[in-house]
Amino acid sequence: MNVKNKSNMIQMAAILAIAVIVWTLLIVLSNANPLEAYQMFFNGIFGNLNGFGEVFVKATPLIFTGLGCAVAFRTGFFNIGAEGQFYMGALGSAWVALTCTGVPGILRIILAIAAGFICGGVWALIAAMLKAKLGISEIIVTIMLNYIGINILGIAVRTFLMDPQGSIPQSEKLDASVTLFRFLKPTRLHTGFLLAVATVFIIWFIMEKTTMGYEIKVVGFNQRAAQCNGISVVKNVVISACLSGGLAGIAGAVEVLGVQRKLLEGISGECGYTAVLIALLAGNNPGTVLVTAILFAGLEVGTNSMQRQMGVPSAIVDILIGLMVLLILGRKIMEMKKMKKLKEGK
Amino acid sequence: MLEHILTVSFFTAFFAAAVRMAVPLIYAGLGEVISEKAGILNIGMEGIMISGAFFSFAGTYYSGNAAVGILCGMAGGMLVSSIHSFLCIKLAQNQSVSGIAINTFMLGVTSFLYKLMSNGQSYQQITPLAKIRIPLLADIPFLGNAFFNQDIMTYGVYILILAVTFFYKKTAVGLAFSAIGENPRSADTAGIPVHRYQYIAMAINGIFGGLGGAFLVLVQVGNFSESMTSGRGYIALAAVILGKYMPCGMFGAALIFGGANALQIRLQAVGVPLPTQALAMLPYIITLIALLCSAGKNSAPEALGVPYIRESR
Repeated sequence: MNVKNKSNMIQMAAILAIAVIVWTLLIVLSNANPLEAYQMFFNGIFGNLNGFGEVFVKATPLIFTGLGCAVAFRTGFFNIGAEGQFYMGALGSAWVALTCTGVPGILRIILAIAAGFICGGVWALIAAMLKAKLGISEIIVTIMLNYIGINILGIAVRTFLMDPQGSIPQSEKLDASVTLFRFLKPTRLHTGFLLAVATVFIIWFIMEKTTMGYEIKVVGFNQRAAQCNGISVVKNVVISACLSGGLAGIAGAVEVLGVQRKLLEGISGECGYTAVLIALLAGNNPGTVLVTAILFAGLEVGTNSMQRQMGVPSAIVDILIGLMVLLILGRKIMEMKKMKKLKEGK
Repeated sequence: MLEHILTVSFFTAFFAAAVRMAVPLIYAGLGEVISEKAGILNIGMEGIMISGAFFSFAGTYYSGNAAVGILCGMAGGMLVSSIHSFLCIKLAQNQSVSGIAINTFMLGVTSFLYKLMSNGQSYQQITPLAKIRIPLLADIPFLGNAFFNQDIMTYGVYILILAVTFFYKKTAVGLAFSAIGENPRSADTAGIPVHRYQYIAMAINGIFGGLGGAFLVLVQVGNFSESMTSGRGYIALAAVILGKYMPCGMFGAALIFGGANALQIRLQAVGVPLPTQALAMLPYIITLIALLCSAGKNSAPEALGVPYIRESR
């Protein structure tokens, strides 16, 4: 166990080192001085309060969606639909926030977030039922549901949720009583981040300390063994999928109530797809998802600053995160070489 | 309103646009049919297409020759698919994870390279491929113009569809190539080199996907822009399922997707007051319904997405 952990750590360090080398190469390729660029990178994050706050603003939806993906991946439900679930959550919460004007502020916020959870959960439930009952691949269904969800939001902001005063496709501004409190002014950092951290603990507790979490993990390890021990595969796949979709839905709700304060298109910034990679990098572990999401958000904020100051393309972020997942998959070659050596040794 | 729609010119333009929208999907879908029949699910098709699009653009731009561009697009696609082959065949890793990572990775790589390439220059445009009108066939009312007044790449896709259909239906090797996706162990026992065939299938998958991306650049748009494939790789996956993993079925499915896309553009041009999104999401809903209807009589290859490890039992 210890030996395995040690070699695991070494491999992860090697992957990080490769990522940093590639990163530096890319900076050199874009005709910038790496030292200066890295200075700009850290300057963008730690140089002023705004940049620092923005890291956590960007991390918030990633934590929720990343947790969502991690929960689903634990049962072997490959949910690539966080993007669509995010949109449906955003739509549901915006609708509640805009229409239930009779409900006082704080209660309406809770209702709106709950609506986000339910809408996202239902969106994932469709894929879960199709998989559990009919054996249809969740991968394709969640991808289809992504596009349907994005388009439904597009219709909503052009019709029943469109700002009557405006001409652009977006809803009217939420009134101040239903927006999430920004506690580190002048940054946009809002209470949604605290909710995200709390959710990490809740999910960790569910996964590690409850029967439900245990059953979910058993189903993920070995479906047949689960079945033989009286653990329902269908039930657990559906539960974890709904929880997963619900978390992505909360991400949408929090983005609407905390950051944008209205509903508009392209609100997710493709974080639903990034979340898949974050969950994979974090090994589907709630605590690690939290750290990975914050690091990733930091990478994004810092790289944006590099782009502004030195013209280094921010596409580097996508390259690096994609590369790291590919390297993690590719490190199996080390294992295979070791096996080969063992065999030849005998 | 209706008199603007029910005209010959509307339908002629609609069919032509539908075919043009469908061709990149058909190329990518055909590549995906071949790899999925061999048991390899490639969600990274989006990344392959964007790679094909970028490299065909760069190739054409620097050489001034579209043929070079097409070759570069094919090479670009194959390069990306070889990453997937290595991870999924050699290392037997999770195919969905690899595909998703490839998509993000290639999106970043192409955006980065394009930024470097366009540094300082404002707008780069290449001459799109010329149309070649096939006499007689192009005179068929409504459809002739759409199918037979197109460019060389569109004609290429017709030939490929026929060739691939023939390959699977009539040749022994074709049978072997679909057997390894159904039951790799039996295929191996029968002396079929499973892994080698999977590598070949993935290489073709990359080449065809690259061609799909190249079509976007060389025929549809004439330039490159970041993430210009905008989900077409995923739609191609849907077309494969809708088409029941057969080249001809996929061809029809891709035409439905292209048609929905074209209809939305045409209706907007005529000024129909309907949110374009309502039409834009139709193909996805159709795919879901088709999946529902085909449930139970699953047409997917039996061992799709399951790595074949020879040593295991």
